[in-house]
Amino acid sequence: MASVAELRAAVDAALQQVTEGQAAIQAAREKLGEAQQSLAAALDGSANESVTAAHASLSHADQQLEEGLGATMMAIEQAQTYTATL
Amino acid sequence: MSIVQELGAQLRSTSDELPTGLVTTAMERLRAATELLNWVRQESVDPIGVPMLGNATEHAERAAAALRVAQDAIAAYLGTLGLTADADRGPSRDWRAALDEHKPAQSSDEVAPPPPPGADRPRPEQLAPWWQQRVSELTGEPPARPEEVAARNPSTAELLRRVAADVRSGDRARLGQDLHHVDAATGLGLSAVTPSVLHRLAGDLLGHEPRPDDVARLRTAVSGRVRSLLPGTSPATLDTLLSRICRAPARAEQPAHPADNAVTSSVLTGVLLARLGRDPATLDPSAPEPLPHHRPISD
Repeated sequence: MASVAELRAAVDAALQQVTEGQAAIQAAREKLGEAQQSLAAALDGSANESVTAAHASLSHADQQLEEGLGATMMAIEQAQTYTATL
Repeated sequence: MSIVQELGAQLRSTSDELPTGLVTTAMERLRAATELLNWVRQESVDPIGVPMLGNATEHAERAAAALRVAQDAIAAYLGTLGLTADADRGPSRDWRAALDEHKPAQSSDEVAPPPPPGADRPRPEQLAPWWQQRVSELTGEPPARPEEVAARNPSTAELLRRVAADVRSGDRARLGQDLHHVDAATGLGLSAVTPSVLHRLAGDLLGHEPRPDDVARLRTAVSGRVRSLLPGTSPATLDTLLSRICRAPARAEQPAHPADNAVTSSVLTGVLLARLGRDPATLDPSAPEPLPHHRPISD
């Protein structure tokens, strides 16, 4: 049976990983924004199907990252609520 | 250079710089966190954020898939321009991104991520005895003294290279020492940095992308050596890791101790490297891409 100190420390260690994951997501979103701008500038006016698909996929990726970030924030909140009750 | 060639170069550059490495790193960190919280959850009815982390990981997986679709679309467009697409660029070069010690959460060409607001560093060192005890059970080697841990304590990437070197030399005593001489956060970090590395090394050994029906073949290739170095690890832990590598569904069992997955995945990395005849230094992201393995393991 784990002690309260161990449970709390394990949650802390997990939150450290989540925090690093959040930092990676935020950096990915910044890079994605740059890629979207670069693509828009290079392919302005193109009606090619592949270009439309590329734009749509990048928007979808960004949306998923945003929602993922939101989920990590809620996860952190739940984990912190749990440790507060220990 | 013609205008079309210039456009092509710009599009290739945009495609190459898409943050696939960062998204992979995020997924691995979230999976490692889920593993830890799942272990805690065995002691509690509280969800402790586990379902939300599962959601977050799924979103990151979908983002990674969308980035690949975008890369394919750009390649298709380059094709319509009559330019060579990047379809033959080979396997992803992001497999060592999580091992970059200078830029821990990014691939070699990506900008350092800013720390999220309010992200205070926790106190994982409180887990030290918990980590040491489990490492002893897995390796059969006695724990280190606390002052020895404080004196050495390498990074997770360095620890992985040391473990790989110990595996290569078959030195179980040194393997135990190296795993003991880190704090819990560094050791548990092995779970986050190994998935992409394992997937790539297994693929190199098999001669193709690992598939669900490769689990048995990989098990035959590695289990003996893993067991000899980690007599305390359970076959279920190794099977779970192999299933993840091969993208096969893992059997739903009670979550393993988080140290089991971390330690076993590092030893498995060393075993795969040894089977490929590669030096642990090839895990360094700045090392050249390893040459293809020409003798894939047989059935």
